[in-house]
Amino acid sequence: MTQKKEPIKNWKIWVILIVLLIFSVPWYLPTGSYEPFILGLPYWAWIILGVSLIISIVLTLILKHCWYMTDEEEMQEEEEKQ
Amino acid sequence: MSDLAFSGTSGIIIMLFYGFLMLFIGFITYWRNRGLHQSNKEFYLGGGNLSVFVLFFTFFATQYSGNTVVGYAPTAYRMGFMWMQSITFFILIVVGYLMFAPRLYALSKKHQFITPSDYIDKRFKSKAVTLLASLLMLYGLCNYLLEQIIAIGHGVSGLTGGTIPYQAAVVFFVTVMIIYGWLGGMRSVAYTDTMQGIALLFGVAVLLIGSMIYFGGLPSATEYAATISPEKLGVPDSNGLVSWFSMLILVMIGAAIYPHAIQRIFAAKSEKSLKKSLSWMAWMPFVTSGFVFIIGIIGIQAFPGLSEGDSEQLVGMMANHIAMQNPFFYWAMVLLFGGIVAAIISTADSVLLTLSSVISKDIYARYINKSASDKKQILVGKLTGVVLVIILLLIAWYPPATLYRIFILKFELLIQIAPAFLLGLYWKQLHRHALFIGMLAGTIIASVMAFTGQQPLGIASGLWGLAVNFMLCVGLSIFLKVPKSEVELLQKEIS
Repeated sequence: MTQKKEPIKNWKIWVILIVLLIFSVPWYLPTGSYEPFILGLPYWAWIILGVSLIISIVLTLILKHCWYMTDEEEMQEEEEKQ
Repeated sequence: MSDLAFSGTSGIIIMLFYGFLMLFIGFITYWRNRGLHQSNKEFYLGGGNLSVFVLFFTFFATQYSGNTVVGYAPTAYRMGFMWMQSITFFILIVVGYLMFAPRLYALSKKHQFITPSDYIDKRFKSKAVTLLASLLMLYGLCNYLLEQIIAIGHGVSGLTGGTIPYQAAVVFFVTVMIIYGWLGGMRSVAYTDTMQGIALLFGVAVLLIGSMIYFGGLPSATEYAATISPEKLGVPDSNGLVSWFSMLILVMIGAAIYPHAIQRIFAAKSEKSLKKSLSWMAWMPFVTSGFVFIIGIIGIQAFPGLSEGDSEQLVGMMANHIAMQNPFFYWAMVLLFGGIVAAIISTADSVLLTLSSVISKDIYARYINKSASDKKQILVGKLTGVVLVIILLLIAWYPPATLYRIFILKFELLIQIAPAFLLGLYWKQLHRHALFIGMLAGTIIASVMAFTGQQPLGIASGLWGLAVNFMLCVGLSIFLKVPKSEVELLQKEIS
């Protein structure tokens, strides 16, 4: 039996996600700037892409470790019955 | 656009091929699941038994439509690097799911929910609230379906340079979609979604490779853009940033709360498969909207100086040029063309099925004929669905100019049911009257602002409506107070 975990009740998740959301928009960079180019992309595009990647990683971890609502054993028993 | 490479037989061949493949999947599903027309759960949720792979593709196909290719590349072309937001907002949809899916999934298995209104009815026990929510969903879904139908026509006629007329494309594919939807319900929708999703992924990848080879890569495109329109490369100004934030929030909440998205939560086989599908979804934006974004940026160099209207044809023009290079790319572009059309249909079919379920269960069985059998409910849903599609077809005959505006319009209404989920699932004090007034006020504010074209501070009208909606829900609930006995009952049922 695993302990019940619900993402909404874990405030740390939401602090991390909100911070990432805030930094996924380039308000903190100088308006109109685009140089230097790195592999054809303006420097700030890499920053935004990086933040987006981090969000995906964080989400994958949350989905894997912070969400246990239904008892899997119970579920399996039910499936076997069916 | 008279010298298109696949104006002619190959365009028609691939269209027929995809059409018949979808019908074939529909027939197989029907053959293997004879009993599915007897039960709402079987028909609308595939028996609540979708495994990781199929569930993932049906989430994918529901969220990513042909518009993600045909409409988003021109948007990147016009807006430049600001459109990188399309990668982030698709990732954030998974955050939207995290806000309510875990609890809603558990409840859906406990109480056998079929439609989002089943939850709303169980939670608020109010006819008025359930009806308002059902009507909002119905209207939003109709708009959404209309947009997809128009997109089918634009997609096919644009990509074949008008060889296949808009109307012929629309009628053919809508008929195919209705037939396989009738035959297999959620199962055939999910199975065709899998086929359609793979076709889209393949097509987009090849289009990206083709544009890099034949139009020069990203570095030359951005260097070129720096000389003719540097504003497309720079960090956006404050207006741009606000609209960027507003779009992120709107899609994050709006797309996850789509009725057809919610139904996919109910259709999951287990919590494990739901979690796994969602975590795959968190990575898809990089290879879908990300690739399409790059294609749009390359387009700045490939076809400079297009007007807004002309730029809507960008993907067709690029695919056409690439197809003329050699036989491999010719057939790859033909497949892409099929993939785009398939992606539109796969979004449209999910919407149509949810639309039918709302009519069957939430309108017909709840208010008109309470003793109707599941079989009869399904039949009513199917028939009304067809009638609605015919009405929408008539509207689609004379389509509005650009796709982007109507995309915003459906969000505005569907998003207003969000408090019922985001607050209702966790806060027992949310009063049904407060929710009703909140949803109604939010809808009116969002619609009026949308129709008059107002976006104060650059924030989308749907979000203004939603903000008022949330404030009314919280404010009035504190004032109205839910009786203690009811809170205790909810504690048992909803926790």
